[in-house]
Amino acid sequence: MMSRWVERAALPVGVLATLATLAVVFYYPVATVLAEAVLDAGSPTLGPLLDVLSDPFYTGVAHHLFVDPLGVPAGLLDWIARGFPDVRLGLFGFTAYQAALSTVASVVLGLPGAYVLSRYDFRGRRTLRALTIVPFVLPSIMVAVGFVAMFGRTGLLNDVLTGLGLGRVELLYTLEAIIVAHAFYNAPLVTRLVTTAWESVDRRQVESARAMGASPLSAFRDVVLPAILPSLLTAALLTFVFTFMSFPIVLALGDLRLATVEVWVFARVQALDLSEAATLATLETVLSLALTYLYLRYEARQRSTSGAGQSLPRKSLTVGWQTLRSPTRLAIFAYGVVAVVVFVGPLLSLLVESVTAPDGSFTTAYYEFLLAQQASTAVGTTRPLPAIVNSIVYGVGTLALAVPMGVVVAILATRGGRGSRLAEAILTAPLAVSGIVVGLGLLQTMVFGTVLFGYRLTAAGPIAIVAAHAAAAYPFVTRNVAPALGGLDSRYRDAARSLGATRLRALLEIELPLIGAAVLAGAAFAFAISVGEFDSTVLLAEGVDSYTMPVALERYVNNRSLGPNLGPATAMGTVLLLVTGLSFVAIDRLGGRWEP
Amino acid sequence: MRRRTYLKTAGAATIAGLAGCAATPTGNGTDRPPRATIDGTPSGTLTVATYSSFTGEGTAGNYLKQAFEDEYPNVTVEFTVPANGVNQYIQRKRSGASIDADLYVGINTDDLVRADAELDDSLFMHSQDYLDRKDALKPALEIDPQGRAVPYDTGYISLVYDESAIDAPATFDDLLDPTYEDSLITQNAQQSDPGKAFLLWTIDAKGEDGYLDYWADLLDNGVQILDDWQPAYNAYMNEEAPMVVSYSTDQVFYGADADLTRHQIGFIEDQGYANPETMARFEATDQPALARLFMDFILQPEVQGQVAERNVQFPAVTDAQLDETFAELAHEPPEAVTFTYDQLQGKVDTWTDEWARQVASK
Repeated sequence: MMSRWVERAALPVGVLATLATLAVVFYYPVATVLAEAVLDAGSPTLGPLLDVLSDPFYTGVAHHLFVDPLGVPAGLLDWIARGFPDVRLGLFGFTAYQAALSTVASVVLGLPGAYVLSRYDFRGRRTLRALTIVPFVLPSIMVAVGFVAMFGRTGLLNDVLTGLGLGRVELLYTLEAIIVAHAFYNAPLVTRLVTTAWESVDRRQVESARAMGASPLSAFRDVVLPAILPSLLTAALLTFVFTFMSFPIVLALGDLRLATVEVWVFARVQALDLSEAATLATLETVLSLALTYLYLRYEARQRSTSGAGQSLPRKSLTVGWQTLRSPTRLAIFAYGVVAVVVFVGPLLSLLVESVTAPDGSFTTAYYEFLLAQQASTAVGTTRPLPAIVNSIVYGVGTLALAVPMGVVVAILATRGGRGSRLAEAILTAPLAVSGIVVGLGLLQTMVFGTVLFGYRLTAAGPIAIVAAHAAAAYPFVTRNVAPALGGLDSRYRDAARSLGATRLRALLEIELPLIGAAVLAGAAFAFAISVGEFDSTVLLAEGVDSYTMPVALERYVNNRSLGPNLGPATAMGTVLLLVTGLSFVAIDRLGGRWEP
Repeated sequence: MRRRTYLKTAGAATIAGLAGCAATPTGNGTDRPPRATIDGTPSGTLTVATYSSFTGEGTAGNYLKQAFEDEYPNVTVEFTVPANGVNQYIQRKRSGASIDADLYVGINTDDLVRADAELDDSLFMHSQDYLDRKDALKPALEIDPQGRAVPYDTGYISLVYDESAIDAPATFDDLLDPTYEDSLITQNAQQSDPGKAFLLWTIDAKGEDGYLDYWADLLDNGVQILDDWQPAYNAYMNEEAPMVVSYSTDQVFYGADADLTRHQIGFIEDQGYANPETMARFEATDQPALARLFMDFILQPEVQGQVAERNVQFPAVTDAQLDETFAELAHEPPEAVTFTYDQLQGKVDTWTDEWARQVASK
């Protein structure tokens, strides 16, 4: 039967199509850049790598390992003898240090959110859950504007604190500010991933544990914890990798004193010193991929089989006056206050900035500016409406491409067998490669063109943008789907297969519906990545008409027609927030019918 | 050796140098092509590569397009805005990809230095001697010894400060005084034009061997180095510090009737660092004559006034027609300093890199 043949071929074809897409928009472009690190005029060299590794500016005290490895034990003893004085971290060491602190902060801030969203019921819970991902799409310059208005010397927080007689805080341009900003971006990742896992915990397993005499605490430890730990660690790993490669936010809210490796990658690319840029980026990628690989090996061992049943019952968040006598609920409200300050504060401040003139008075000038841009006929004018439409079209396109890609890779990853962890780690590479390097690679191979059979082939415009976004986004789908798929009891699939269903039919009709929540979460991330993406979009946006909301926003940042202020950009930022917020709620509602 | 050289003298030397070697190919392996001429009415499409804020509603670019097309009805001006500026064309030329543009508007001195350092053959062709308006150019703004890049406007980097909070520092050493602790915001010289200009200004003042020590003290006194001009200015406007490194045209944005307390201009050492913006024709252009016509057009007195006002910069010619209020609000420093092409060549990357390493090691 023809259709059956198609069904059998679908998965292998899907795998090939995924690999082909990745080869064109990710692996080949990135390889052309990173090759500069290990090739000198075509022949292999370790020179640039050793130069970086033995430079104390980059590797701090660890440079001794590469300069004088035999002297390391003696140096170590000497250091101990001197009573463990502070050591020089170097750029890599400092980058890892701030990433570790940012990861801890993101988990501390994100985990309680997951607990509340998955274990309590309250009005607007689903909407709130859908909106948790919003900070993820906000361009860093808008986060900087929001943070300055919220946490600055004359910001809202200091107004409130001094109003309460508590004195003021100086937070901006410190390591603390960067860590809070990183938590602003990444705590939602923790919340979102863990909520998905927690909601998939089968209530019957907990109930039977309790029936067999387990205390609530040990039921949590034996049933719930193993189910949510992989997603918590995934979120922590992703946060570490992202904040390790953090770039614009570090300089927008910190200071050059707090520079990360990625800041140097950018500076080297600007100076067209591509060899050193590639070397730094290669080291970043190797570190990120090694961590990812170690984690995936751990995850594969941890996968617990779970059936797909009903979620745990939710408690009501408010129970009348009794609420005030419940320590847990009071703690939740205290957490709520912190969450409001960190997440709602900057976003609300951004909104306020978009209607505030430089002298502090109310103004609608920035929104009138957007309308005027829309009405203008001058060439080169960036209009808000096409930006909104393009962002949504690319977002939906990315979602449509990244979800199958992510699911296909998740199937490969959960199939097991030799080297599948390594294969998955390599397929997760889009998360682990510097965005600056991906952009440079796309520029060199797709925009400038690649010579094949005597023709210079170039690619840009909407299709290239969607493909590039999908390459960046599909690992999020995989990271959501693989643990859920791996955790699924294989008997479901085996039963379907023994009844004659093809692998594809078993997947589409049995497995994916059972893990609908994970697929939906992955889809929302794919959309978010696409909407928030800037680096490759701006390179691939052919001519003037393929710009997206972040690109328009960046152009408004540099538009001086209302004076040198960020007003027009904050108005566009507010539009971006509204459009993406509504989109996430829509994705949640549309996908909701898929959830168990 | 006194390192500070004013562009005025350098410009004169440049012209003499060019005159002296007009018969032989100039450096960098470029032969000067003959002056391209147009037979009959100018026509065709002129593709202008520039930065994004030069085009769009109300900008200098939009005005230029309209005015040029009105003057030459058979010509269409198109803008292209590469995300990574001049680097895009350096990389295109290096990888053998097509240039697809006729001229670039918005080249800094260090862009030109980098383009020449990265490429064996020049990316741009000579223009200056072929321009009808070449004698109107302010000599102090001529940055290119080979006459390829021609200035069309300039900014002066200065301090913008809040006179209700602080007095302007008279000298660079004043900035190290406890009075100015935690008072100054500047930008990362690795990626910001005013940030780089401010760094070069300190190198001009303190010397190649002294600037790093000066910056060590400046860092100890709490200078903030943010990524780019816009976040830095935004932080200043939100009162994070009473001084910011910016442009001496700041008051133009607010107008004479506004409260200018927070928009005072401070010229350290009675100087400002000139940052001329230049334009140049690509060697690869197939419209050399039309591109030259466009360059001459930008240098017309009336057009120069419009470009300066719309770009909020100073004109590049001596006879620009400027609005009176603009002249009143845009402050020119008593003395303009800048590094020439020859002084930056082979140096600017090292200077910036060593500075950035010192800051990041703090």
